[in-house]
Amino acid sequence: MVTTQCYFALASMIFLLGVLGVLIRKNLIMVLMSIELMLNAANIAFVAASKHVGNLDGQVMTFFVMTVAACEAAIGLAMVIAIFRKYGTIETNFLRILRG
Amino acid sequence: MGIIDSLTAFQIQLITTLIKFVAILVLALQVPPLMVWFERRAPALFQRRKGPNRVGLFRFRLFGLLQSLADTVKLIFKEEVVPDAANKVFYHLAPVIAMFPALVVIMAVPFGNDFHIGDHLITMSAIRIDSGFLFILALSSIAVYGVAIAGWSSNNKYSLMGALRASAQMIAYEIPLGMSLIPMVLIYQTLDLNQMVLQQEQVWGIFKAPVSFVLFFICMFAETNRAPFDLAEGESELIAGFHTEYNSFKFSQFYLGEYVSMFTLSLICSCLFFGGWQIPFVSYQTLVNLTGYEFIASIIGTIVLLHKAAFFMWAFVWVRWTLPRFRYDQLMNVGWRFLMPVALVNVLITAGVLSFIRFGG
Amino acid sequence: MAELVIFLSFASIMLFSSLMVITRKNAVPAAVYLVITMLCAAALYALMGADFVATIQVLVYAGAIMVLFLFVIMLLNTESDIEHGFQIKGPDFVMIALTVLSFAITCIALMAGKGAVNAPMETMPVDGGNTLAVAKVLFVNYLWPFELASVLILMAIVASIVIAKRDNAGH
Repeated sequence: MVTTQCYFALASMIFLLGVLGVLIRKNLIMVLMSIELMLNAANIAFVAASKHVGNLDGQVMTFFVMTVAACEAAIGLAMVIAIFRKYGTIETNFLRILRG
Repeated sequence: MGIIDSLTAFQIQLITTLIKFVAILVLALQVPPLMVWFERRAPALFQRRKGPNRVGLFRFRLFGLLQSLADTVKLIFKEEVVPDAANKVFYHLAPVIAMFPALVVIMAVPFGNDFHIGDHLITMSAIRIDSGFLFILALSSIAVYGVAIAGWSSNNKYSLMGALRASAQMIAYEIPLGMSLIPMVLIYQTLDLNQMVLQQEQVWGIFKAPVSFVLFFICMFAETNRAPFDLAEGESELIAGFHTEYNSFKFSQFYLGEYVSMFTLSLICSCLFFGGWQIPFVSYQTLVNLTGYEFIASIIGTIVLLHKAAFFMWAFVWVRWTLPRFRYDQLMNVGWRFLMPVALVNVLITAGVLSFIRFGG
Repeated sequence: MAELVIFLSFASIMLFSSLMVITRKNAVPAAVYLVITMLCAAALYALMGADFVATIQVLVYAGAIMVLFLFVIMLLNTESDIEHGFQIKGPDFVMIALTVLSFAITCIALMAGKGAVNAPMETMPVDGGNTLAVAKVLFVNYLWPFELASVLILMAIVASIVIAKRDNAGH
C-alpha cells in the first residue's frame, strides 16, 4: 500500500536535490533547472495532500503553481539571454556587481 | 460465451487492451511502407512521368508496390556510420524519441464505437481516458524533442542549426494547432474523442467550425515538418537538416516517425472534422440492426475511418508536390503573426456565438 | 500491490534522473534528464488519480517549458568547460551534508507523525471524469485566482520580450 507519507518523502527528496542543485551549480541555466525541480516536488506534495484530504483544492493549486513556474522560467531565461549578451558568460561567479 | 463469463472484468480489460495495442501498432506500422511507395508514384503521375513501377514479383510488375520492400532492405543493410564525436547515448536515442509520440497518440484515437461482449463494454481505442483530447495535445508536444536532440547530438553545426529551426517551427505552430481545437471542445462540450464522433452523425465538424479546420489543416503540415513547411529537411539547404548524420536504419526510423505522425494527425482530423468512423446520416444503431452484431458495426466504422485518413494522407502528398517551400522568416511570420491571432479571434467568436445560441442573447 | 510496484519504479527513475540533472557537466543532457523527471512525475499524478494534472504536466512542463530551456541552452551554445568537469569543492561538501541531514530529519518527522500523515490514501470524489471535477472547483471557487493568473502570464510575456530584446538603438 502506498501511503501519503511515501509521496511526501519522495517530494522532499526531490526538493532537497533541487536545493542542492541551486547551491552547487555555477551555470545559471542549471540553477534555473534546479528551481524547476523544486517546483515539481511541491506539485507532487500538493497532489498527494489533495488525495489525502479528499477534495480537489490541491490539484487546482498545482494548476497555479505550473502557471507561475512557466512565467518564472520564461522571464528567467530572458534574463539569461540578456546577461549572456552583456557579459559573454553565464557563470554565477561573474555576476557580482551588487556584491559589497 | 462460457469462458468469457468466467474471467473478471479486470482480466477482460487487460486482454482486450493488449490485443488493441498490438492491432493498432501493427496497423500504424503498415502505413509507412505504403506511403514510401505512394510518395514516389503519386508525384510522378502529377508530373506526367511514370515513377517507380518496376519492382514486382516474378514476372508481374505490380505497379512497383514492392519498391518499398526494396527500399527497406537497402536501408537495413547499408553500413551505419556514427560520427566519432557524437554524444553516443543521445545519438542512438533520438530516432526512438522521434517515433515514440506518434505511436502513443494513435492509441487514443477511437477506431469505432464501443461495443458489448456479453456484459462488458469494450472501447475501440486502446486507451480510454475521459480527457482523450488533452492527452493527444500533450503528447504531440513531445515530438519536438526528437528533432532537437537529433540535431544537437550529431555534433555538427549544420545539424544543430537545422534542429533549432525545425523545433522553433514546431513550437510556433503547436499553438495555433491547440487553439484551433478549442472551438471544437466548446461545440461538442466534451473532451472525449468518441463522444465528439458520435455527435457528428448529422452535421460534420467542418460545417460547424470551418475556420478551425483550415487552421488545423495548415498546422498539421507544420507539425510534421511536411510540404510547404519542410525547411528542416529541405533537400537543398542545410544538407539534410537535423538528420544529416543519420544513415541507414536510424534515418528510416525518422522517416517512419514522420509518416506515422502524418497518419495520426490525419486520423485526428477525420475524427474531429469529418465524422470519424461515422458514415454520414447512418446512425450506429442502423448499422447494428443491419449486421446483427455490434462488433461488425464497429469494424465497419474502422474501415470508414481508414478511408477518411487515407484521403488526408493523399492530401499531404498532393500539397507537398504542388506548393513551393516557405522561407524561414516567412514561415515564422505566418505562424506567430497571422495564424495565432486568427486562432484567438476564432475562439472568441465561436464562444460568443455559442453563448448566444445556448443561453439566448 | 501493483500500485506499490508502479510507484517504486517511477519514483526510483525520478530520483535517478533528478540526481543526473544536478550532476551533469553539459547542460543539454541535464535538460533531457529533467524532462524524464517531469514525465515520471506525470505518471505519479496519474497513479494518484489526478488525470488532468498529469496531462497538464506533460503539456505545459515537459512540452513547453523544457523545450524553452533546451532552446535557450542550444542557442547560447554555452561551453561545457564552464564547470571544468564539475568538481565538488570544500563548501559543496557542507551543502551536501546539510541536504542529507535535512532529508533525514524530514523522514523522521514523517515516520513519527501520528494520525493524519499515517493514514492510507482515500479515494477522490470523481464524477464525469477528473477533468470535469477539477474544472468545477477551478471555475467556481477559484475564479479570481484564475483570472489573475492570466494577467500574470500576460505580464510575463511582455516582460520577457522587453528583457530579451536586442537593443538596436546603439548603446
